[in-house]
Amino acid sequence: MDHVQSHGNQETRSSDGESTGSKGIRVEGLVKRFGPVVAVESVSFAIQPGEIVGLLGHNGAGKTTTMRMICGVLPPTAGSITVAGYDIVTHRRQAAASIGYLPESSPLYPEMRVREYLVFRARLYGVSDPRSAIERSMERCGLETASSRLIGQLSRGFRQRVGLAAAILHDPAVLILDEATSGLDPLQVIEVRKLIEELSSDRTILISTHVLSEVEAICDRVVLFARGRVVAEGDLDSLRSRSKSGANASLEDVFVELTAKAFLESGS
Amino acid sequence: MSGTVVIAAREFRSFFLLPSGYVVGALFLLANGIVFLSGVFLPGQPATLRGVFSFDVIVLLFLCPAITMRAICEERRQGTWELLAASPSGAGAFIFGKFIASMGYLVVLLVPTLVLVGMLELYGRPDPGELAAGYLGLLLVGGVYLASGILASTVTASQTIAYLLTVFFWILIGLGRSALPGWLGPEAWSMLAPWDPFQRMQDFTIGLVDTSSLIYFPSLILFFLLTSIVLVETERRA
Repeated sequence: MDHVQSHGNQETRSSDGESTGSKGIRVEGLVKRFGPVVAVESVSFAIQPGEIVGLLGHNGAGKTTTMRMICGVLPPTAGSITVAGYDIVTHRRQAAASIGYLPESSPLYPEMRVREYLVFRARLYGVSDPRSAIERSMERCGLETASSRLIGQLSRGFRQRVGLAAAILHDPAVLILDEATSGLDPLQVIEVRKLIEELSSDRTILISTHVLSEVEAICDRVVLFARGRVVAEGDLDSLRSRSKSGANASLEDVFVELTAKAFLESGS
Repeated sequence: MSGTVVIAAREFRSFFLLPSGYVVGALFLLANGIVFLSGVFLPGQPATLRGVFSFDVIVLLFLCPAITMRAICEERRQGTWELLAASPSGAGAFIFGKFIASMGYLVVLLVPTLVLVGMLELYGRPDPGELAAGYLGLLLVGGVYLASGILASTVTASQTIAYLLTVFFWILIGLGRSALPGWLGPEAWSMLAPWDPFQRMQDFTIGLVDTSSLIYFPSLILFFLLTSIVLVETERRA
């Protein structure tokens, strides 16, 4: 439903900064340079509360760098980022408290047990009722049976679930998931996607992926990255309509066409 | 503040979840026992732990960097650093948390050596003041080693390099203190001598507690920790 609605007023939505101030994400003129290398160049986009938005692009297109800046892990060279109404630079603590972050490949402490790790994360975020928050998170991510297992012995799918459970412990308004399904088997991919969709009911979700079917399966909207720039933004239908092959174009065609155009325009 | 405690608690527990924590502890005790039985606990010897303490000053130089080399490097390698950096806690909480945890571990290492004190008590009359000074000295010296190890762990991505940096730094200081007096002449050296950490350590082992040392060592610790915090924070803010 929301998907159909968002199509019509796409332009007003992404340019309307005020409505994003509450619980969404707003990125303006974001630049990140590593020495002479420009990883992210004047990136701007806005994500409304309750949306699932996919950052799509080749490996090295700037998706992870952008996400790390939104999470306050990496300082931007220029530009501003607002998360849940807080500027990530001037109000780091508040912004960080409203973000649940799952970095690529779900880093964890292998020597800890699942519940023990979740207790640590709950305390780190100052969760007021850790016990019930942990129960809720574990139930949501299907971890009840794994609570006393050693993290180092878990399968990839379970590790991903532990990462997700930890990310939602403090009930953040915004979830940032970097390549949440990469390296999972097809069944696990479906499970994690289902979980992400369930979680989206009451929060803003930004996911990064280079898997096109993932975008089609769960995202309301796409921000397409190429060479550190945003080359296209909109819901899937509006992206298709930009393609020469029209509304029947597969997302793959659109992706290839739009990124190729960006490569040509950047002059190399 | 609470972030510091949470991180310290996790790190401290981690020492006992990994085999290395037990190996380091066992080796330390074994070495202490050998020194005690072969050089100190002999008929006619004075009832002191001086020999053990001055030996420990050297052993800790090699053990403490092994305790801290994991501190930041391992978090970076594992990627968990990313999660800490994204949390509401500041760099101060990470660094002080890591330091408190490794100090806690050092205390755990030292506690079993009280058995040696017990044995002295059984067979002689050791001076409790001297023993207390010795332990205080080991904690201060160990704290300095640990803090410098944490700094090394923040500047490099490799545990091996972090370990070697710390050990070689202190070996260089040690070499410097034996070579410099000769090169500089007694007068110039007398200006530098108060900065010599090893002389101050030796004072503790013979039961001498110089109040200036009680400021000197904590200041060194703070220097290493604050430098680490600044490095971590600039990486995040730049």
